[in-house]
Amino acid sequence: MSILLDSDTRVLVQGATGGEARRLLPTMTDYGTRVVAGVSPGKGGESVGGVPVYGTVGDALKEHEVDLSVLFVPARFVREAALEAIEAGVPTVHILAEGVPHHDACALLTRAAEQGTFVIGPNSQGMVSPGKAKLGGTGGEVPDLMFRPGPVGVVSRSGGMGAEICLFLTRAGIGQSTYVALGGDLLIGSAFVEMLALFEQDPETRIVVMFGEPGTDREEEAARFIASGGFTKPVVAMIPGEFWETSPTPASVSHTGALIERGRGAPSVKKRLLKEAGVLVAERFSQIVPLVKQALKQA
Amino acid sequence: MSRLLENDSLTLLSEGGVPVPRFEVCADAEAAARALERLGGRAVIKALVPVGKRGKAGAVKFAAQAAEARAHAAAILGMEVRRFPVRKLIVMEALDIEREIFCSISFDAPRKCPLILFSAEGGVDIEELSEHHPDKLLEWPVNILEGLKIEDALELARFAGLSGDLAEQVARAVRAVYAVFCAHDCEMIEVNPLAELADGRVVAAAGVVQLDAQALFRHPELEAKLGVEGGNGWRPFTELEMRMREIDAIDPHVGAIRFSEMDGDIGFMVTGGGYGLSSLEALLDSGGKPATTFDITPGRYEEKMRRAVKAVLSKPGIKGLLLAGNVSNFTRVDIKVAGVVRALKEAELDFEKFPVIIRYAGPGVEEARRLIAEVPGVEWYEDEASIEDLARRIVARVYGKDDS
Repeated sequence: MSILLDSDTRVLVQGATGGEARRLLPTMTDYGTRVVAGVSPGKGGESVGGVPVYGTVGDALKEHEVDLSVLFVPARFVREAALEAIEAGVPTVHILAEGVPHHDACALLTRAAEQGTFVIGPNSQGMVSPGKAKLGGTGGEVPDLMFRPGPVGVVSRSGGMGAEICLFLTRAGIGQSTYVALGGDLLIGSAFVEMLALFEQDPETRIVVMFGEPGTDREEEAARFIASGGFTKPVVAMIPGEFWETSPTPASVSHTGALIERGRGAPSVKKRLLKEAGVLVAERFSQIVPLVKQALKQA
Repeated sequence: MSRLLENDSLTLLSEGGVPVPRFEVCADAEAAARALERLGGRAVIKALVPVGKRGKAGAVKFAAQAAEARAHAAAILGMEVRRFPVRKLIVMEALDIEREIFCSISFDAPRKCPLILFSAEGGVDIEELSEHHPDKLLEWPVNILEGLKIEDALELARFAGLSGDLAEQVARAVRAVYAVFCAHDCEMIEVNPLAELADGRVVAAAGVVQLDAQALFRHPELEAKLGVEGGNGWRPFTELEMRMREIDAIDPHVGAIRFSEMDGDIGFMVTGGGYGLSSLEALLDSGGKPATTFDITPGRYEEKMRRAVKAVLSKPGIKGLLLAGNVSNFTRVDIKVAGVVRALKEAELDFEKFPVIIRYAGPGVEEARRLIAEVPGVEWYEDEASIEDLARRIVARVYGKDDS
């Protein structure tokens, strides 16, 4: 078991004939991802890496059943492509592009909420259920160096830090059930709460590691969810950036969601709420693996 | 930063149908005096700077005659408002304000929608409002697909305690502000105050528009207005930051650079949003004083890396360099390292004495390792090194502390 993605998940690839997809699609299928079809406007009838390509999502759905669509579409075309998948009734839409305009993200997320579509991203680096399937760039061409199957669910707002955490877990011999990069943007679809709810139902997942950031209230929501009994397994969390709260010099960070506004989104508050909810909070990166080991003993 | 100056903000609002006062932009005291005459003999003279709280800084003055305007203008032009030297003024017709209303629109991450913040008790800044009068601050989420209908805007105005003709005028103004917010891909608009005047009119007496940097490709005409006046958001760009902007501009399609200069002595060039932030925290925690922060998006950026490293090494007082990134998935690390190695060779430093710590992991790491070996004295790490290992190591080398 895993969440969102396993070896049976039927995956549609939007933007299938673009450079990113041509480069990454073979690494996904080689790893075991069940890619059933691709979509590229005006490119119906072609194929990429043995996968048939259709001109529209609707055309692809006439021939294939699809559980999830992953968008390798450049940021400026994401709104249109995502709305196409949402309107066609694809249950889960996974958006990789970085730099999607906020108004576009807002519009597609609003429509997704109305339609009950599950959205990961924008600006998600990828998703991996080790040993089964992977989406996006995460893990590169040698995913086994970074990921191995195991009991730890990993969720991160930062793709780079998510990969780094999985690397250090794997080096310590600790495997992962599923790793999801949520995306560092201000407006994203699912966040920690949605992932925790899925991990709660997954018997393979014994504990969860979450990596947060300053800004938004996604970690606060997670803390409330855990405190209210929505998630009953041990959680290890890290949220860097507390020094920012007292620093007069805001460092430049590429994540649009990492902004503390009107006192909201302060790491110190996030960490306090998580601790109060019983979460093991790592103050520093090197504490993550020892805390994971401790949590696995509790689980 | 993608914040427009007040004159550009007000013009954008005005073009979108929001009533704004008449104003002129002036660069010297004499021009301010003439502007006052044209604006009816009474005017407010404000510093045209990319930061708020100008009134508290004494950079907003009322003048009722030309001589007074000249004196105020000369005084304000010599000022520095929250680190920004005042080079221009905005001279605005004086308004007889009866009531000040606060109105802002921005995106709300939890609700994933545009959120209007509205208060019939405006005139103070939002921090003050939300801290001292949260009960008087109305939060009004908008469904972006449906937009803000006039009846919604009316309901908002009435909910905030306005009535009659005033409520209708305010509703029309708020709706126009919302239309500007959408039409120009804004991240935030703040109108404070939206003023009710003695003659019954409602005008945006001050306004700030912040554009979405991720949507500027749709608005080249607005991107051209951003310029460099806004600096890095809290102070003007330094010389080194200006140089880094030039380096970034050599190829707009490859590796976008984000860079800040700081007061410390360790060149900190650790990339990745979350990784960079975690590393900066670890460096500060170990007693390190960062001289820079640096991020670059992946791509074929060898030349940019070469120039960026050289620029950081040129900073006076720099004592060491930390270059690192989280484990790379696809981007070959040797491209980055090739640029770094060229810069280090050209710097002709003794790296036994000037510590350089480098950590990269991912595809191309073997080639990167070979390249680094060409520069004696540079310390090279791969995926075994954690964020704190690197922070402790650079601090130990730079400050000569025991590396235990």
